[in-house]
Order: sequence, then C-alpha cells, then structure tokens
Amino acid sequence: MTEQIVNNSVKPLTQWVNLQQPLTFDDYCQSGGYQGAKVALLQHQPKEVLEIVKNSGLKGRGGAGFPTGMKWSFVPMFDEGDEDAPDNKYLVANADEMEPGTFKDRLLLEGAPHQLIEAMIIAAYTIGANKAYIFLRGEYHLAARRLQQAIDEAYENNWLGKNIQATKYCLDLYVHSSAGRYICGEETALINALEGKRANPRAKPPFPQVSGLFGKPTIVNNVETLCNLPHILKNGIAWFQGIAPNSDAGSKIYGACGRVKNPGLWELPMGATLREVLYQHAGGMQEGLQFRGLLPGGASTDFLVAEHLDTPMDYDSIAKVGSRLGTGGLIVLDDKNCPVAMVLNLLRFFAQESCGWCTPCRDGTPWAVEVLTRIEHGQGKMADLDTLAKLCDFMWIGKTHCALAPGAVEPLRSALKYFHDDFLQHIEHGCCDYNPASLAKRIQVSKSKTKQSVSANPTMAGQSYE
Amino acid sequence: MNEDKVTIFIDDQPYQVSTKDNLLAGVLSQKLNLPYFCWHPSMGSVGACRQCAVMQFQDETDQRGRMVMACTTPVTDGMRISIKHTEASEFREQVIAAMMTNHPHDCPVCAEGGECHLQDMTVMTGHSVREYQGSKRTFTNQYLGELVGHEMNRCITCYRCTRFYNDYAGGKDFGVYGSKNQVYFGRQSDGALESEFSGNLVEVCPTGVFTNKVFSSHYTRKWDLQSAPSICSHCSVGCNVSIGERYGSVRRVVNRYNADINGYFLCDRGRFGIGFVNGEQRIKQVKGIAQQSPLALSKLDVAKALSHFRQKSFIGIGSARASLEANFYLKNIVGAENFSPGYLDDEMKTAAQHAQLLASNAATSLTEIEGCDFIFVIGEDITQTAPRMALSVRQALRNAANAKAAKIGIPSWQDSAIRTAGGKLLSPLFLLQSTSTKLDDVAEQTLLLSVADISNCLATLVKLIKSCVIENTSDVKQQLAGLAEQGQLSAVEQEFIFSVYQGLHKAKQPLIISGTSLVCAKMLSQIDSLMQVFKKQSKLKTPALIIVPPSSNSVGLLSILDEQSLSIEQVLSQLGEKSNRYQGLILLEQALEKLSENQVRQLRDSSETLIVLDHTQHRLSTLADIVLPVAAVSEGDGHYVNYQGQAQQFFQVHAPVLPIQESWRWLDIIADIIGIKATCAASENQTVHTTTAAVKKRSCDSLMQLQQFFSNSLVQWPDLITAESINPDDKAIARMPHRASGRTAQMANFSVHEAKTIQKIDDEYTFSMEGQSVINSADMPFTWAPGWNSNQSIGQFQVQINGGLIAQKSALFIPMSRAITNNICWQLTQAHSGNVNDSQSLSALTYVQQESLYFGEWQAAHTPEFQMLEPSNQLSINVETAEKFGVKKGQWCKVVFSATNEKMQLASQSVISQICIVEHLPSTLAFGNFSLCQSLNHQLEMAISLACDQEITDYLGQYNERLIAAKNSKDNVLESLKLNDQTIPIRLMSGGLDDG
Repeated sequence: MTEQIVNNSVKPLTQWVNLQQPLTFDDYCQSGGYQGAKVALLQHQPKEVLEIVKNSGLKGRGGAGFPTGMKWSFVPMFDEGDEDAPDNKYLVANADEMEPGTFKDRLLLEGAPHQLIEAMIIAAYTIGANKAYIFLRGEYHLAARRLQQAIDEAYENNWLGKNIQATKYCLDLYVHSSAGRYICGEETALINALEGKRANPRAKPPFPQVSGLFGKPTIVNNVETLCNLPHILKNGIAWFQGIAPNSDAGSKIYGACGRVKNPGLWELPMGATLREVLYQHAGGMQEGLQFRGLLPGGASTDFLVAEHLDTPMDYDSIAKVGSRLGTGGLIVLDDKNCPVAMVLNLLRFFAQESCGWCTPCRDGTPWAVEVLTRIEHGQGKMADLDTLAKLCDFMWIGKTHCALAPGAVEPLRSALKYFHDDFLQHIEHGCCDYNPASLAKRIQVSKSKTKQSVSANPTMAGQSYE
Repeated sequence: MNEDKVTIFIDDQPYQVSTKDNLLAGVLSQKLNLPYFCWHPSMGSVGACRQCAVMQFQDETDQRGRMVMACTTPVTDGMRISIKHTEASEFREQVIAAMMTNHPHDCPVCAEGGECHLQDMTVMTGHSVREYQGSKRTFTNQYLGELVGHEMNRCITCYRCTRFYNDYAGGKDFGVYGSKNQVYFGRQSDGALESEFSGNLVEVCPTGVFTNKVFSSHYTRKWDLQSAPSICSHCSVGCNVSIGERYGSVRRVVNRYNADINGYFLCDRGRFGIGFVNGEQRIKQVKGIAQQSPLALSKLDVAKALSHFRQKSFIGIGSARASLEANFYLKNIVGAENFSPGYLDDEMKTAAQHAQLLASNAATSLTEIEGCDFIFVIGEDITQTAPRMALSVRQALRNAANAKAAKIGIPSWQDSAIRTAGGKLLSPLFLLQSTSTKLDDVAEQTLLLSVADISNCLATLVKLIKSCVIENTSDVKQQLAGLAEQGQLSAVEQEFIFSVYQGLHKAKQPLIISGTSLVCAKMLSQIDSLMQVFKKQSKLKTPALIIVPPSSNSVGLLSILDEQSLSIEQVLSQLGEKSNRYQGLILLEQALEKLSENQVRQLRDSSETLIVLDHTQHRLSTLADIVLPVAAVSEGDGHYVNYQGQAQQFFQVHAPVLPIQESWRWLDIIADIIGIKATCAASENQTVHTTTAAVKKRSCDSLMQLQQFFSNSLVQWPDLITAESINPDDKAIARMPHRASGRTAQMANFSVHEAKTIQKIDDEYTFSMEGQSVINSADMPFTWAPGWNSNQSIGQFQVQINGGLIAQKSALFIPMSRAITNNICWQLTQAHSGNVNDSQSLSALTYVQQESLYFGEWQAAHTPEFQMLEPSNQLSINVETAEKFGVKKGQWCKVVFSATNEKMQLASQSVISQICIVEHLPSTLAFGNFSLCQSLNHQLEMAISLACDQEITDYLGQYNERLIAAKNSKDNVLESLKLNDQTIPIRLMSGGLDDG
C-alpha cells in the first residue's frame, strides 16, 4: 500500500491521464478513483474537509497562488432553518484556459475528466454548494464532450444528483462552454459571463465567496487546484506535503513552449528549477538557437533571463526574482526572434482581450500597441520609450479595475528592462534587425545593408506602407 | 445631520465630511475640484473611468501613500488624502490622455461644446498636449428617433448612458456592445428609443454622444441662451426645469435640480414637449377686436371692444393648465357661482373625492417615494401620466437589495456591488390596473381589471383590514375567502388581495399611488375608506398616499373649487336657460377636448359671446367671437400647484411678441371693464360682510402687484400665496450667462444703435447678462460655475452632494379646501354607487384607452417631434377573445365597437388596429392606444374581424400622411424660426399693452 502511494506520489494529478481514451467510470474507480470523494462524504463533516484542505497547504494553481482552504473559509455557513441562508451556493471550476502559452488544464480535462468531477464533489460538499459549473474554454470541444460523458456516468452511478452515495448531499454539475474571452478567466468576469451578462470583472467587495453567482456565495477554483483534492483526501496531508518537502505543498504541472527541442507538460514536485524544466524536460533550445529569456507562467508574467535559471518554480521564489509563477507554463524566447515583436504580439492580445471597462486598460493597452508597432516598424522615437514606461506605470496594480492590464504590463516592463538594447536598436536603425526585410520605413536613415535588402525585396517593402 | 460627519484631511486641511457617501462625493461637497466621469450623484459608483484617483495616506508620517479611486473609497474618521499629490494628478491627466486617444477633435461642431463635462474635466486635469500618434477608431451612428441624436465617435466609454437607461430607468432597448476600445452604446438596430426617459442621456452623457436633437436642429451655444427657472407644464409632478430661449424662440428645456422633486432627471414629455411654444398652431393675434393703429394693439382697442360687456354676467371656465393666478382671477371676475373648472360631471365627482383625499392625506414627495419599501399602484399608469414619479418608484424597489447589501457591509452608493449582492431582489410593487404598464417588469404582481372590478377589489381589501385582528396566515385567508364570496371575487383577485395584505403586513414605509385618469370617483372613495381603516387600526403601518391628477395645475384648480363650482353639463344647462341672461362664456386656456362635437356646438350656440384666452388653436378658438392670445409657460409668470399641493413659481424666460401676454394680464383688462363679482367665501366671512364687489384701483403691472391686489381685496387668496416683496436694494439675477455674446449686435442689420434691454419689474431677474451671481438663488435660471460649464456644475450649488440647494427657499404648500365636496351633486351615495355597479353589468365590455407619454397632455401633443413618433393602432385583448374571433397576434383587424341600450344600438365605431395578446386580461376588458368617441364610454360590445387589404392600406395611408404632415410641420417651424433669427422681431419692451 505504502509503496503504491510512493509510486504515485510523483504524479498524482496526471497518473490517470489518458489523452487517447480517458478512463471510463468503472476503470477510474478500479484505479482508485472516487475514493477521495468517499472519504470526504462518508467519513467527514464539511468542516473537517475544510480543515484538511486548509492544513494541506494547497495553493491556487490558476496563477495567484492564494491558499485554497482559506478561500473556502470565507464562504458563510448556515445552520438548517437559518432565515438568512441563501437558497443555493455555487462551485465553479475555472476551465477557461486562455492564457497564451498555457495548456495544462486541457491535459486534465481531456485526459481525466472523472478526476475533476470527483474533485468538484469534494469541494462543493465542503462549501455546501448544490450546484456546480465547469466554465470551459469555448474551443475545448473535445473536453466538453468527454466531461459531459463523465458527468453522465457520474449521474448514473449516483456520484451526482440526489442523495449522493446514500448521503443527504445533493449536487448537480453542468458544463458551460464559454463564448470565448480571455477576461472570463477572471473569476468575477467568469461569474458575470455565466449569468449571461457582459464579462466585466465585478467590483470587490463583495467577494464571490459571499456574493457571487446570482448573488449567492460562490467559489471559483482552477481545474488543477481542484484536481489535487481527491488525492489529498485519499492520501492525507502528510503525503501531500511530502511530495515537495522544500517548497509549496504538492506537485505542479509545468510546461514549456517556444523553440525548445521538446515542448510539453510535466508534472513535477513543486519547486523544480527553471533550468530543470527547460533543459531536463523540454530538452533545451533547438539547434542553432541561444536562450534569451522566458516568461515563467504564461503571457502575463515578467520576463526572466539566464541569470534566473536556477530559481525554483514556486510562488515565493519566482516572486523574489521579480516575476510570478503564474500557470507554470514557460514561454521561451530565443536569440533569432525579436523581443520587441514578441512583446508587441502579447500586447496586441491583451489589448484585444480588454473588456473595455476601465480606462487604463481599455485605452492604455491599445496605446502601448500603437507605440510598439511603430518601434517594431522602425518608426520609433526615443521619446516612445518614455511613453512606454509611463504607460507601464499607468496600467499598474491599484490603478485598474482588475489584474488584466497589470498582467499586460509585466512582459512589457521586463522587456524594457532586459531587452532595452533591442528597443534602442530598433529606434536607431529605423528597422527590426531580426527581420530587416519586413516593414523598414525609414530607408533614408537606415544602414546601407538594410537599404539593399529593402530594394531587393520591393513587394515586402511595399506592404510596410499599409 | 452632524452625527455622520467626521473630520478628514485633504492635502493636510481638515474638512467635515459625511460618512454616508463616498470620498468623491465628500470632496465635491466641499466644493473642491476632483474630476470624474462614471460616478453620478444619483447613480452611485462603479469605478470604471478611474478619473477620480487620489492618494490616501496611513497617517501623518506616511509619505508614500496609496492610490485609490475616490468614488469607491468610503469616508472614515481622520483619513488623510491628497488631491494635489503629483502621482495622483499625473495619473488623472493620463486617464484623460488615454480617453482622448479616440475622442475626435470636433468641439466646434459638437452640440455639447461649451457645456461639455469632458472639456471641463480635461482642463481640470491640465491635459493639453496630445502624445498619442495613432489613428482613431470610428463607429457608425444610429438613428435613435426624433428626440436624441447619436455620435458614437465622441464616446469616452464611461458607461453612464447604459447605467442610466438600463439600470436606473429600466429601459430594454439599449445596451453595450463590443469590447476593448470598441465598446458601443446604442440600440441593437436603428429605431426610436422606447424609454420615457431617453432625453436624460443628453445630460447623463459627459460629452456629445447623446445630444438633444431638437435643440441641435436650431442650435445655439449655452452661453447665448436666455434662461429662467421654470416649472414643467406637462404633468402634475411639477418638475423644476430651466427653459432656454434665444431670438424669441424657445430652444430647449434642461433639468433644474430640486432635491425633493425631480433631482437630476426629467421625462421626455417635460424635456421635449415644449415644442408647442414655437408651434404652427400658436395664436399670435387677437380676434374680434378692432385695432386702431396698424402697428400695435392698444388697451383702448380692447376696452372699446369689451365696453358693452360692462357689469354683464359671464360663465368662466378655468383650466388645469392655466396658472393659479389666472384661474383665481377668472373665478372672481365671473363669481364663484359662475365658475367651472371645465370638468364633466364624472370628473367633478372624481375631483371632489380627490379634494377629500388630498385634504386628509399629505402626499409624499418623489424623494420620499424613493424611501418606500412597499408600493401599491391602483388604476393609474404613472409611467405615462407622471413619468418622473414612475422613475422614483423604480428606485424605491431597489431598497430590498440595498438592505440585503447593507447586511454584508456594502454602502448604498456602491452601485455595482449592490447590484451584485442584491441580484434581482426587489421591494414589492403591486399593480392593480386596467392596462399593461411599463412597471409590469418590476412588479411582484400585476392584476388587470376593469374600473368597476378595481373598486370591488378595494372594497374587499377595506373589509379585510377592518376585520383582521388575527395575524395567522390561514385565518386571514379564510377571512378573505368569506369576504371574496360576498364581493364575488375570482380566485385570482383573492390571491392578489392576499399578497397585498401580506406585503402591507411586512411594510415599514408603505405607499399607495392612484390617480384620476380612469375618472372613477368610486375607486377614489374606496381608497378613502381604505385610508380610514388604516388610520383606525394599529397592526399595519398606514401607507402614504399619492393621487396623480392629469395636469400641471390640477391641484391649484382644485384648491379654488367650491360647492358652487359648475360642471360642463351644468354650464350647458345654465347657458340654455334663457332666464339666466348670461352674456356669454370666457374660456381660460381651456380646449375642452373631452367634449363631443355636439356639446361643443351646443356650447357655442347657447353663449352669445364666446371669449377664448389661449396660446394654441383648438376647436373652440376657431368658433370664438373674441380670441386673446396668451403667453405660454415660458413667456409669463405664475404659479403651478403640483400633486402634493406645493405651489411653485415659473418665471418669464422671454417676453412674448405683443399682443401675446399672460392670461392674468388679459383678465386684468377684462376685470377693469366687466368688474369683479363678490366671492361667496366673502359673504360667509363675518368680518367682510359688507363687501359685495372687490374694488380694483389700478391695473396690475406685475405678478407681484396682482398678488398684492388679491391679498388685499379677495378673501380666499391670502391662504394661497402671499407676495414676497422684492427688496429694491437687491441686485436682480441675470437671465443670461456672463459670456452671452452679441446682445449689442442683435439688431445690427437694422440699426447700429444698441437696443434698449427689456425692463421688467415683475421678478428678480433681468433680461441681461448683468446681474448678481446665481449662487445666491435657489431658483437658478441656469447652472454654471467656474470650471464647471455643464449641468453637472449643480454640485457646486448643493449644500452637499444630493442635498438641498444653497439658499433654498422652503417649499410652499397651499391649503386644500374640501368645499367642493359639500355640493351634493358630487357626493357618492351608497345607492348611487350601487347603481353604477348594476349598470355596468359583468358581461359588458370595458374599453380603456392607454395613457400616452407623448399625447397624454394637450400642450405637449402639439410638438411635431412627438407627432412623428405616433404609434399605429393597437388593441390588446386576451387569448380567449382572440380565439373567439379567430384572430392572432400582430394581425391587422377591423374592430367594431358598439354601444347598445336594451333594444337599440346607440352608437358604433369601427377601428382598424393591430392585435396584441395580453395574458391574464379578463374577457370583459380590452385596451388600446386609440380613443373611442364619448358615447362609447361605458357598455360596449366588440366584434373583431380580419381587415381586408384595402382597409389596411387605407388606414396605413392615412397614418403615413399624418406622420408626413408632422414631419412637414417640423420642417416649416424650423424654417420660419431660422428665418426669424435673421430679422429678430422681438419687441424689446416690457410687458403689458399700451406701454409706449
């Protein structure tokens, strides 16, 4: 028994993942599924489950790293017959995975749908919710199908519906496919979207734990966070904390994309270093490319560079070197790609995905795009760097309605810091040296080398005047 | 008041600020400048624009501070903030710079220019240099109807429009579309805005996205408008407005803040219904008076024309749209026994009940409505007859959500948080109506019944409350079941009454609203009984009561009625009797639109002389012997008395072109000739027993002199309004802003000599830009403060945000007289009311005409823009009726209404109309938006058949012609006004004839 646990302990989240054909209900049970839920529902009161989760040290895997148990503890609990008791509470799984460079939840959703359902039963039971939603990214069609199938099986086997496993507890679970906005990943915007409203983040307070979906107490948790629950309940706190004894509790699914040899996802004990993930698992840079930097946890985190590679990937360590763990999905930049173009690409995404509610984000992100576009196209001025710096400040935390704009600022401000020379070179040369053929405009002031390449390629030069 | 005030430090200066509102409101209350967009004093905070950023410090030693948005920050004792801090002021400037990335630089052609909140805030932040080099986004604008213009490119995305239109006013046909920096505010597709409050978008929008289309079509800058404080003349709420005029034509109406009444918002009838003043139908010349000089009419001409009426008897018909002064004067000229309010018998009975109710129940103000937690509206579509009141009712319904949010510590100004926490929770609203109304969507229960059944229901409720000493739910139900059997109530009605009773049981501040639209005295008398049983018990909180009359001065008219006042039927019979020897009839601003053609003819034929005083043509003015053109609301002074009995003065905005003058001036001339009859009230009074006729020594040149004369000579007046003497040392207030341009050049195309400004002693306002600052006046002609050019400058004149105005005069309530109830004709006897019940047997059909915002008030209905929005005929029936006649929703049908009397058909009328199906409508009730002739008022039969193509084509043809005629009328008016601007015909002299 102990052996088995030790074996599985390395990869509790992904041990049951099968992307070709996820485990059916029976197979899932056979492999040890629904045991965590059984422990929770049959052996514990909700209060006790809450204590277990609190003490386990589980932190939210959506990016903010907020302790899950503490989040749950803000949900008001009512005695039976309490007049103030709401007619319902809600649990929502945030499966709106739209962070660029991040695809860890997709693995769990498509590969082990029952694991999420089991986890949601535990979470919903703990907070006393009788209705739960999986808010799924619209493009995850396969996941939607597999989740619905798993939910149907769970209903058939009395893990969902009325009086689950002969207890008094009832739970209905629905899959809601998003209409598709990045901002729906923000929990209150997600709730608005779920209510059929515009996906604008809400003013806080009230926090969703008190007044969320339809004004009722609501918990929104990331898929990966939830998926830890069955294992914590089944194997205990000590086991969970033992996975990564020197770091935050539990394991984490790390990923890498960009021009690495072996892009992908790996479940590792929390606190693996950037170097481990990049070189051991992702196989290092592709032939002929040098490492320039990386975004450690999706597009809305600050760049880290070579000097940071030995930083362990947990919440505190990454924060110490000036970035955020985020989703743990690395986006790797090599030396043959233009950092300005990369930042421009990211900012375009954020400007596109701004909900349009608050001014700094709505009008600040497109402004940054406008400036970056000019710089990338060789029309930048030195003053533009000041404008960018000002915009970074303008959209920073505390000045905006939610975290989207500060998230957009993170890659920009760190790029200005680590790749300052590239920006200067764009402005001074009047073109992008990584891709000199494209978009050079200031032909008269640019170097002769650039001039030749432009005249040699008139069609490309022509396009740049758009 | 002082209990909720704490000391906070703003840039190290201590201030006393209320903790009941947010920091931004606190800062603005101190008259400090802090820019904002998304916050609105009445709509609260959402934190979208980030414009009101300030630095907050932990304590005196904290140097770094933390940036917070003032609008979402509560005020706490001892808090330290800085507005001037560089970080905050730079951020505020940057917010404007960011908004400006997409704002076009079209201020010269923007209707908002010069009174633009965005301009003000931009200057306030110091943003003056453009750094953004990119291109600007462009939008396609929409056609939003004839009243509101749309220019989306100017939008700075503050979300105020949708927050007002959808969240505050409950509009359904407007919204937010798109995202990022492409957020679009508008309708799903082009079309006229459906909300009664769409005009407020113009004032709510901080820039020129939504503009007053009527104003824009004949545009002038705010600084060139001549304005005066006025009162809306289109319903009984008495909203305070400011009317703007230039070159002799009225340009626009804007809201004038009054903390107790309209606050910051007006309805569209009030804002756009002023069109009649410039209308084609205006009466501009006298008729039936020979004029000596071709240049001008003189007093002598009038005296000559009227000379043979000296000491003759007239019947005078006053009206609810004429000022209190004019009505009172007319009553005294013709004598109380010869005075009629122009009401039919049924209306007189209703008026008597209304007087009774108003005298014994003080009506609540709109602000007080917003504090109610239970509202029961009976037989009055206030969304159309008193729209501003309906808006307040809507706000009251949010109290339940506010209370829920307060439990988790969310203050009432946190608008978005309250909507999150409150969800769809609403305080109870019950509607007992004869037609669907626009409050149905927020009502807990709506019951549609015919008028007789409404009374019946109320009678049962009265009995239930009378008999209920028990609190047990099932006992109440049982009790109700017994009563329901007596009253022959259906199960649905029973359930409704039960719910109302339960709601009343929980209510802490209940309110009942009813009105006189249905002209049902019995219903009002049941409400009277209801109020009486409430007062006799202690279990339920006695509700406040509001009765909504139709017109701006209905209550003023009601207050001077007495037991001798005549109904129209009585007027007709009195005129008919030869022995009475009446010289004729004086109609004071009274069109008698409810009279049938027959009655009009009878009235004309039986009066030897018909004198009409009015500003706009109507049936009787064309038949009259003498027509005297009178001033519209913007052209004269006077008082209106609102539904509560609050008398409010409207001031002359601009002098009319003679011979148009206020009706009381005409009456003053008439009084000189015909004389003044003694009032009956005078003979009752022991001290004045000798007075038979008041003696008038000289003509009254101003409203003040008139009031002086009234108080000195006439008995009833001193109770009403006493003239406030104007202190000659006080400098008058300017009707024009300091920046008014071109007064000296107005006549330059005729003469280079500057024209003399109009001298006016009437009131404390000058026709000039010279005068004392408006800050000392509660009655501001316009709202304007340094740095605040838009109407949002009102914050600078409030004691504190949302509070009363600085130097506000206390409201003046006139006493209500029950005298009219003494007349036995207008009393409801048991037997009488029983008869009414019998005659309206249950099988008979009742047709009710829906009230209309645009056409419900006679003056406003003359506005061409409203006429262009006329809907086509629609008839609402229930499913059974539709099935019976084999018609479906939306089909064009021919509907034949006929009235039968035992044996024979009395009258019939056929109407082409589209069919609407309304659920829960009794088969005995149908309603539509068209009127039926007078004789089809009661017992009805209805036959519906599908209309043939020809009939539909004919109807739609006529309908289209009317719309085209309205469009042409609008174009003609505009053309003539613009032509007028070139020749400026204003006679720059003071009011009154014969003044040199």
